Amino acid sequence: MPLSTQSQADDEPYVLVASLDNARNLSNILKSITFKDHAIFSATPNGLKVTVEDSKCMQANAFIQADIFQEFTIKEDLVGFQVNLTVLLDCLNIFGGSTVQGVSTALRMCYRGYGYPLTLFLEEGGVVTVCKINTQEPEEPVDFDFCSNNVTNKVILLSESLKEAFSELDMTSEVLQITMSPSQPYFRLSTFGNSGNAHYDYPKDSEMMELFRCTTTQTNRYKMSLLKPSTKALALSCKVSVRTDSRGFLSLQYLVRNDDGQICFVEYYCCPDEEVEEE
Amino acid sequence: MLCICVCVYRPVLAKAIHSLSRIGDELYVEPQDDGLALRSVNSSRSAYACFLFAPLFFSRYTIPSGHAFRCKMAIKSVQAVFRSLASLEKTVEKCHIGLDEKKNRLTFTLHCKHGLLKTHNLSFQDSESLQAVFDKDSYGNVFRSHPRLLVDTVVHFPPSLEEVTVSVSDERMWVRNHVEEEDRSKSMLTELCLASDEFDHFAVTTQNSVTFCLKELRGMLVFAESTGLPVSMYFDEPGSPLVLSVTDSVLEGNFVLATLSDDSNHRKNNSRREQTPPPPPNDDFMDDDMDSYLIAMDTSIAPGPSATRPPTPPLAVSTYSKQPAAANHRSRLIAEEQEEEEEEEAELADSAGPPNKKFCSLFFGSVLPPSSQTSTQPVTNQEVLASDSEDDEQ
Amino acid sequence: MKFRGKIIDVACLNHFTRVVTTISKLTKICVLRLTPDNLFFVLSGKVANGGVSMWCELSQANFFDEYQMEGVSSEDNEICLEVTPENLSRALKTVQNAKAVKLKLTKKHCPCLTIAAELPTLSSISRVVTHDVPVDVIPRRLWHEFKEPSMPDFDVSIYLPPLKTMKNVVDRMKNLSNFLVMEANLNGEMNLKIETDLVSVTTHFKDLGNPPWGDDASQDGGPSQSRDPEDMAQARVDIRKLQQFLMGQQVNPSKAMCNIVHERVVHLILLHEDVSLQYFIPAVA
Repeated sequence: MPLSTQSQADDEPYVLVASLDNARNLSNILKSITFKDHAIFSATPNGLKVTVEDSKCMQANAFIQADIFQEFTIKEDLVGFQVNLTVLLDCLNIFGGSTVQGVSTALRMCYRGYGYPLTLFLEEGGVVTVCKINTQEPEEPVDFDFCSNNVTNKVILLSESLKEAFSELDMTSEVLQITMSPSQPYFRLSTFGNSGNAHYDYPKDSEMMELFRCTTTQTNRYKMSLLKPSTKALALSCKVSVRTDSRGFLSLQYLVRNDDGQICFVEYYCCPDEEVEEE
Repeated sequence: MLCICVCVYRPVLAKAIHSLSRIGDELYVEPQDDGLALRSVNSSRSAYACFLFAPLFFSRYTIPSGHAFRCKMAIKSVQAVFRSLASLEKTVEKCHIGLDEKKNRLTFTLHCKHGLLKTHNLSFQDSESLQAVFDKDSYGNVFRSHPRLLVDTVVHFPPSLEEVTVSVSDERMWVRNHVEEEDRSKSMLTELCLASDEFDHFAVTTQNSVTFCLKELRGMLVFAESTGLPVSMYFDEPGSPLVLSVTDSVLEGNFVLATLSDDSNHRKNNSRREQTPPPPPNDDFMDDDMDSYLIAMDTSIAPGPSATRPPTPPLAVSTYSKQPAAANHRSRLIAEEQEEEEEEEAELADSAGPPNKKFCSLFFGSVLPPSSQTSTQPVTNQEVLASDSEDDEQ
Repeated sequence: MKFRGKIIDVACLNHFTRVVTTISKLTKICVLRLTPDNLFFVLSGKVANGGVSMWCELSQANFFDEYQMEGVSSEDNEICLEVTPENLSRALKTVQNAKAVKLKLTKKHCPCLTIAAELPTLSSISRVVTHDVPVDVIPRRLWHEFKEPSMPDFDVSIYLPPLKTMKNVVDRMKNLSNFLVMEANLNGEMNLKIETDLVSVTTHFKDLGNPPWGDDASQDGGPSQSRDPEDMAQARVDIRKLQQFLMGQQVNPSKAMCNIVHERVVHLILLHEDVSLQYFIPAVA
């Protein structure tokens, strides 16, 4: 069967071959950025980056390093294509995505190049599924130009403490306002909904706060509809780094530990709400 | 700040709010001398619930002196404060409720583990007091049991079922689903028979049946079961409300549910109403002068004897109280939300007339203006009002 | 016409409830046929229910501690009722801890199948619950519509893989497409396939085995003689029908089989020790 014949990539016409013993290690992290159907895949020898965007104001990236895969063979410096992420996830979970210990779906993912489908070979308990997902030419992702030199404020929190806040967010509020400040209230999340406003204040010396580095008081608003999808990544993560730069752009970096204890990253960028008005 | 309630967080407060959300869309908050009252009423005004948390429930309870204050707000927004019951129990250490009348907001502050502070500023509207008039102690049939008994009973009925009928004899209680006559050949009928000794208390003076909404009963049971408090059920004759209550040393919860009046009553009232169109809106009612009107109402009941019944006002109120046309229960509440509802009410009266449905007399009583607001004391002779207001116009 | 049955054994009650619940997942309305030895739940393929047919057979002795019935007449010693399995299932589910459950045909406000259960209490008097499920009595002249469907002259018969695995695959395929091709051969291989503009997915099952149908099977001594073992017989079906069938199954049957009449029908058979269920899904073009 295709899965047992690994390390034959040289004989195969594929430009990219990636294998995983446990397809959940890919599907879980992709699930955390599924809020639009189109996903841009960029593979380099370092690994796989999957990008999903919403209205040029928000971008999510999932990084899966090459060494997460049992096999990662790439014949070009950069291989890029675009697929329907919802379809891909249904394929990856074709056997139900069991969370039972010892039961996992093995995956071999192959791509021949421009114009070819992305081919998945999945195997669980001796049953094999072959999926051919049509690909498109990748679009150029938006460059948010978020560089660490311009970061004004940064906190690292244990995800647990933010999960509660995000699960309780007042969805009638159009925006989520984030205040970061070297003085009170340090780190505050605010919503302004139909029935009133709510503030969640995290003291800087909380055990939940792993790092607190704020240089100036900054209050920015972000569209709730854009930020809400990041809850999926939050749910999966153990730590989150919240950063804003001098323009008020937001970066949320989630550290995700997979079933095998390996670390991957998911990153969300979001423009402040004011920027949207200017466009 | 006008009113401050502080307590070590106790899930019972959140559970009460969740349970009230099964009744209506709005939460009526009223800090009273005898505790913090939280109330709700359903849109067809056939169900009402009230929880009273005694001052001792709180570690600090300060309320405005001199004048009464009440407000209402969307119950959803209060529920949102206490959204995840399970995690709140683990994380919240202290709960602070503060009322700022100037800014028109009620603030819930939750002090959580790891220094996290959650502040919810909820805007509210002023409201008149919402109170159902009921006197459960005068009722002939009284039952008390562990909530489990009732939970095990309602589990036999499908979630979609709207009404149940409870019948009692000296020894037994029967609970069955209420089915409209015309649906009987299609519907599944379920009946459960409970023996009196399954109850802690079982007192029957009139062997009769009452039919009421199951949804609110379920709402009450969720609360009772989670707190383990015994549930008492009081009812009298068909048409007068059924009362469910739970109490412990620092809280009291009462759910007042309208019951369907029996068939003869039903026909009689229907035909009478067809003949007699509802009177046009009372001018007093259309004015914003609700208070004086209501005082009139209230004092007029106090003497009791049916001979001294007030003239038209009660009917005017009952006829124009907000009433979705599809409502199954016709109920009469002294409505307090004149601004929003008048138009609709007037319209209803003009075009639709009273809904052609079974007559049902959940009777909500009156509201005194803040200055003379007494307490939750039930008005004792509500039967007079409940049964006869329809006759008054004739 | 009389019918009265009593179940005391908890395992039997539980099992009977599961069967009825399975039926309720497959159809809103069906016919319940009662004979002295068996109970049958029957759905005869009409266009209105998507052309799907169902035949479920239970041996009464395996479920009932008491079972008495008197049919329409001594020659036609049967009772035929139209029932809503959902109602029966709901009623049975609430009485799982009962000391005894009675099933009776009763004449209340309308003909009913009455389920009466005695529930355990701490009290000296039992708590009794009765559910009257309205039924329609089907007149004798219509009975011919509810006979056991004949075994189709299938091209391939094959054992099914574990239903749970099949359900997972079919559920996902349902997200991607409305139709699915089921194909199988006499080499114990079965494939489930979908194809859309976005994606094509094929799940390959192998080593499933083909049931030996012997003499009583397909008319001319079974198809295996003449057929190339690699040759696939296939049928394209509405995924929802297959999904419905798989959703209802709460326990793995002792035998699960599938007969395919090429481009005509998929015939699914589940055999438990004391229950058999047959389900026919018509192929679509």
